[in-house]
Amino acid sequence: MTDDPSSLRAFFAAWELFGDPTLTGALCGALLGFLGVYIVVRRMVFLSAALSQAAGLGVAAAWYAQIAWSVPAAVASPTNGAAIFTVFAALALMGRRAGQALRSDSVLGLVYLVTAAATLAIGTRIVQEVQDIESILFGSGVAVAPGDFHLVAWMTLLLGLPHLWLHRGFAQIVLDRDSAQVRGLPVRTLDLALVLSLALAVSVSTRVLGALPVFAFTVLPAMAALRVAANLSQALVAAALVGAVSGFVGYLLAFSWKIPVGAAQTLVAAACFGLCAAVGLARRTVLVLQPRHVHGPQCGHALVAHGDHHDYVVDGRLQHPHEGHEDDHGALQD
Amino acid sequence: MSLLLHTSGLEVGHDRRAILPPVDLQVHAQQIWAVVGPNGAGKTTFVRTVLGLLPAIGGTVSQRPKAIGYVPQRTQIDAAVPARAIDLVRAGGERGWSFLNPIAMMRANPAVDRALRDTDTEALARVPWLQLSEGQKQRVLMAQALASQPDLLVLDEPTSAMDLHAERGIFALIERLRDSRGLGVLIVSHNLGLLGRYATHILFVDQDQGTVQAGPAEQVVCTDEFVLRYGTLLRAQEAP
Repeated sequence: MTDDPSSLRAFFAAWELFGDPTLTGALCGALLGFLGVYIVVRRMVFLSAALSQAAGLGVAAAWYAQIAWSVPAAVASPTNGAAIFTVFAALALMGRRAGQALRSDSVLGLVYLVTAAATLAIGTRIVQEVQDIESILFGSGVAVAPGDFHLVAWMTLLLGLPHLWLHRGFAQIVLDRDSAQVRGLPVRTLDLALVLSLALAVSVSTRVLGALPVFAFTVLPAMAALRVAANLSQALVAAALVGAVSGFVGYLLAFSWKIPVGAAQTLVAAACFGLCAAVGLARRTVLVLQPRHVHGPQCGHALVAHGDHHDYVVDGRLQHPHEGHEDDHGALQD
Repeated sequence: MSLLLHTSGLEVGHDRRAILPPVDLQVHAQQIWAVVGPNGAGKTTFVRTVLGLLPAIGGTVSQRPKAIGYVPQRTQIDAAVPARAIDLVRAGGERGWSFLNPIAMMRANPAVDRALRDTDTEALARVPWLQLSEGQKQRVLMAQALASQPDLLVLDEPTSAMDLHAERGIFALIERLRDSRGLGVLIVSHNLGLLGRYATHILFVDQDQGTVQAGPAEQVVCTDEFVLRYGTLLRAQEAP
């Protein structure tokens, strides 16, 4: 009796073949999930879409340079092309006034459309590589070269560790940028570091996995984490976990169900979002259904005069019923 | 009383165009300066320029304290960011490049604890921001500003969307903090009644009249420009 070739046992039996792409998906998912929290809470979701599209253009441009101008492959490699174009696009998006430029949907739309059109235009000149460009845009690649796995591993380490170290600074510009600037935090430097690290992560990941899963990893894990996390630190950890799970399990499902890897990873991330959204909704429902205390003559709280009205004393503070809620009227004075 | 903030001929505005006459202002410790004026008068533009968030069109801020506690409008805190009260207050303890130091927040803990205590928000520390009432949110933002151990507290419309009693509570807290910490205070507000009770000085700005009046409250409320805009309500309050 032979194993079903699509079973999990068969998958792990061939781990030598599938290990690198599976772990690559998990690492990219974890890093992009982590970075994606900043993207989602700053409402810059289309930034990652524009950057991954720019990465696609960089790959196409690199191939074109090899074919049309005979630039050595070591120089005009797809990875270099993706990195250069993505960083350039990120710097252009930073603009003179970083905060406004990054939030401008129209500017992001412009970059996305121009890079998409340019990628297709260049694609017609490098016919033999069109299949590769499509795999980059839609993430249908199954195999990951050992060199690409090592590249992703180093990228995760070199970007992940500084982000863990600097996360308090990045949190400040997300929570309240103006207050952070008043307290002397280098908000523009932090903006630049955030966008450049995102650009590098997106360019390498897009080159290896494809644009669809990269866009999914920067959006869906963060959306999932923000549904259940109590604060930003928790959200960062949860998003990294969801991203890693999506990358790993997505590859497993792609193997079992024989569907494109990028699509499977995106669907798993979407399922994680659905699960977290349900948990968040359940939590809020429990809160709403809890019997709410209503102040009244028999409620058990002392009623005291306060100016021209009366308040109830709760834990040493004055509460005043007002239009269905309680206003806080300060501490009880002796 | 030590000089905290000094502006010399400071011109504020947008797109290189000044919207107010030059402002000369000296804020000392223990003073409460109210920035008043009608909607669109340039109050927030002035405050943001003083804070360094907007470039000055002309003149200078010749002296600014090292540590300024800024209390933004509550709507400035993005509801999409998950945060508990304690997370926001701790954020106030980050100054300059302190985030590079892994143990900086431990050093800031006493200041954070004191800020929570002074604003009576200790019991709210673990409560999500979105579940706080407007008055509680304001006190948390004041705790955040105090966590940076400022010399000057700048508040932008701290009592908007509050009922009168909650407003009184916030102003009483500001006065208490001024006394206990020796702070200078610069506050933008529309509540002339409470400002008349608590403010020691007034900066009256009016883009329509093209006027700026700055000085002790009892002097500014008597100027023709102030009376033209607000009548004699505050002058009557000042009378014994």
